[in-house]
Amino acid sequence: MRPLDWIVLVVTLVAIVLYGLYRARGSNTVDRYLLAGRTMPWYAMALSIMATQASAVTFISTTGQSYVDGMRFVQFYFGLPLAMVIVCATVVPIFHRARVYTAYEYLEKRFDSKTRALASAIFLCQRGLSAGLTIYAPALVLSVILGWPEALTTSLIGAVVVTYTVIGGIQAVTWSDVQQMGVIFLGLVAALVTCFALMPAHVSFSDAVFLAGAAGRLNAVTTRFDWHDQFNLWSGLVGGAFLFLSYFGCDQSQVQRYLTGRSIAQSRISLLFNAVAKIPMQFFILFIGAMVFVFYVFTPAPVLFHRAALESIQAAGAYPAVQARFEGAFEARRAAALGLLDARHAGDAAEQVRRKAAYRAAERDLDGAREEANRLVEQSGGEKNFRDTNYIFLSFVTRYVPVGLVGLVIAVIFAATMSASSGEINSLATVTVVDLYQRHWRRGASDRHYVAASRWATLFWGVWAVAFAGWVHRLGALIVAVNKVGSLFYGSLLGCFTLALFFRQVRGTAAFVGMLAGEAAILATAQFTDISWLWYNVIGCVVVVLTALAVEAGRPAPGHDAGFAARQ
Amino acid sequence: MPERPEAPDEPPPFLGAWRRVYAATLVYLCLIVLACYLFTRAYR
Repeated sequence: MRPLDWIVLVVTLVAIVLYGLYRARGSNTVDRYLLAGRTMPWYAMALSIMATQASAVTFISTTGQSYVDGMRFVQFYFGLPLAMVIVCATVVPIFHRARVYTAYEYLEKRFDSKTRALASAIFLCQRGLSAGLTIYAPALVLSVILGWPEALTTSLIGAVVVTYTVIGGIQAVTWSDVQQMGVIFLGLVAALVTCFALMPAHVSFSDAVFLAGAAGRLNAVTTRFDWHDQFNLWSGLVGGAFLFLSYFGCDQSQVQRYLTGRSIAQSRISLLFNAVAKIPMQFFILFIGAMVFVFYVFTPAPVLFHRAALESIQAAGAYPAVQARFEGAFEARRAAALGLLDARHAGDAAEQVRRKAAYRAAERDLDGAREEANRLVEQSGGEKNFRDTNYIFLSFVTRYVPVGLVGLVIAVIFAATMSASSGEINSLATVTVVDLYQRHWRRGASDRHYVAASRWATLFWGVWAVAFAGWVHRLGALIVAVNKVGSLFYGSLLGCFTLALFFRQVRGTAAFVGMLAGEAAILATAQFTDISWLWYNVIGCVVVVLTALAVEAGRPAPGHDAGFAARQ
Repeated sequence: MPERPEAPDEPPPFLGAWRRVYAATLVYLCLIVLACYLFTRAYR
């Protein structure tokens, strides 16, 4: 980071925060602090929803994921449009008409207070864990760039985010998200343009895409069904749809966004905008990772992108052999890539097949050398299952992106974190105050009291997120970890809302027992099987519904809560 | 907590009815999956 980068970084962030706080002035009532007085236009909600999802993890980890595993992660988002249509047609009007502050408030209207309390507790567990991950990712960035301990950077970022969220409420969160999406888009385009500008002169755009594809990095769709495979067409369409149904239908961090809309139509349009824009955006980000891969086909990369980990193994006796294998594989891959391009330009199909095989063999050898380096890190006292996926994009940015743009890309990562993290903390505070504090401890207090309680709850969850962030680096690739943690809890929440919306005969106790059974089923699946996490939501939801129906069938005739259901 | 006022429902700004907007979204999904599939086949 040079002085110009620091100036760009600081000016961008200060401008975003000040603009958010400026738009948040007057957030002195509960309705304004938690739901922006229900005044938000669709485009602000849409960009806020996108910014919340596009956390720093998106840039750090998704690009790295694409570098090592190709673009198949995009399939994870295939279920999103499907989920958005269902959410718009069912949940959005129901929540708006129920006049609720939180999704779980509706569960008490439909079932009973214990079901609401259980759903709120499950949300707090799930989102509380994710909040740590969201803060950890950019802390990682600063650690790499500045060489500071991750604990220090985590605390610093947490302090900024908490202060900003406590003061501004959801209006500050939403309006700063709008600015942040602009910065994010700018940063992404800058990263891709830089990547192409740095390619060797004889490698065209078409050549770069061809080489990425030949190395298996453009595998956007895998049609083979496999329960154990994390990302294929079917797990994306079905598992992804269930996950996004849970996310947008039952997760307060998203529900709160579209409840700020000034009408049902505005909320629907904001969600459908995401349905249309999200897949191309993820495709674009993954494509950047694939192009960074091609860049490193021609430019020597370090054996490991994590500088500290690399330094920790350089003294090991086995390292010189690993390095020699890596360098040999790099040269072989580079030569094979050039040969492959020559064959392509000459239109020699047979030679292309031969060169492609050599290129892929060299690629496998290089991956093998990196695997050996990973094992060396473990053997030298590093973390178990060490991977440097999250450091690949950052390493590229700090080494090769021109001065000024580095500051912009780092600002993107910061901005994304601030939006995602502040949204999470804001929603955690909302559920804590509305569903627990106001419902079970302090009913009928003044509006001012609940605003103050919301600010204190925001502070609490901010501190919690920072504390948890110190532990999450053990979870592996961050983008997967975020969704993995979510999937441990979402299935039972989705099952409960499915019961509420589509099974009118089911009452509170049956739903409550169903949720407990669903959560147990998910945890057992995660603990005792190797079924991919994308299926946890499906399993949890199905178990909740079946258990609740079984319990309801064994109970006496409907009472008061069925009467409520009939009125819905 | 103060009671929230009920939000008004409105027709979509395009295509006339929400059902048509949803159908268009699903058609879009099919097209984008197909595009990704063709992209994968073209560059494998």
